[in-house]
Amino acid sequence: MAYSDKVVDHYNHPRNVGSLDKNDPSVGTGLVGAPECGDVMKLQMKINPETQVIEEAKFKTFGCGSAIASSSLATEWVKGKTVDEALAIKNTDIVRELALPPVKIHCSVLAEDAIKAAISDWKRKNAADAPAEKPASSAAQS
Amino acid sequence: MDMNELETRFHQLSWKLHPDNFVKATAEERELALERGSQLNDAYRVLRDPVARVEYLLAIEGMRKEGATKQQAPPELLEEVFELNESLDELRGARAANQDGAEMAALRRRLEEAAKGFEERLADVDEQLMAAAKEWDATVHSGDRAAGRAALGRMNEILNRRSYIRNLVRGVTQELAQE
Repeated sequence: MAYSDKVVDHYNHPRNVGSLDKNDPSVGTGLVGAPECGDVMKLQMKINPETQVIEEAKFKTFGCGSAIASSSLATEWVKGKTVDEALAIKNTDIVRELALPPVKIHCSVLAEDAIKAAISDWKRKNAADAPAEKPASSAAQS
Repeated sequence: MDMNELETRFHQLSWKLHPDNFVKATAEERELALERGSQLNDAYRVLRDPVARVEYLLAIEGMRKEGATKQQAPPELLEEVFELNESLDELRGARAANQDGAEMAALRRRLEEAAKGFEERLADVDEQLMAAAKEWDATVHSGDRAAGRAALGRMNEILNRRSYIRNLVRGVTQELAQE
């Protein structure tokens, strides 16, 4: 089973690897996993509270090439988008772009889940009336 | 499950299907005995391994169909798995950079500590899995289907945790074995 050129490219040159400060109220963190193969994916984005634009996105994934490529692509796509636009990204878009084979579709699902999880973490942190510096009672505890 | 009975039955059936008993049989019968023999071996392999038994049960009950049902990972475990993977990365990086001394030793100690913890957790999870399997067995006898589904769901959830923990134990052991 060969990986597509795009997967190989993202795997060899992953975009936006790294992390952002998860305690920053403008940063949303999504940590998701696929138990079938034991993959873990962390996706973080810094969102401008005024414009709702995603200004920065970082990821770190421990998993197969397709999982890494899916999350790398996801960070590329969400940057510069608004929260609503980012939520509209579907795993099938990722499958198409990376030409993922059927057995690797769950990797793209993971990336979509990670985007949604990061945004809902950010929303939770910035829920109406909550003071901006209130520490999030999110899953992002160490 | 009665392991002694499994052994006895397996040996009885193996004996029955042994090629020596089919020396005078037709080619067709010999073929069939061979086929049954290999089925018997497969069945024995699954039945004697408690985890394989649960996996097989969940598969035939349609709980773990690839793509059909989305398996959920427990969030608090994900956090730990992620951190331990980062430590593993650090250790690899330190080794690649030919770093030695105190930093490397501290890293190793931390991983050894973590590995021990995860091995204990694996034993724990296995115990939970066996408890849930017993509950399932009870529902088979009582015919309580709702309770049966609940037990299957629990086994599925435990198995999901187990695969992460097993991978970690394997990864850390492998990494620490390299010198």
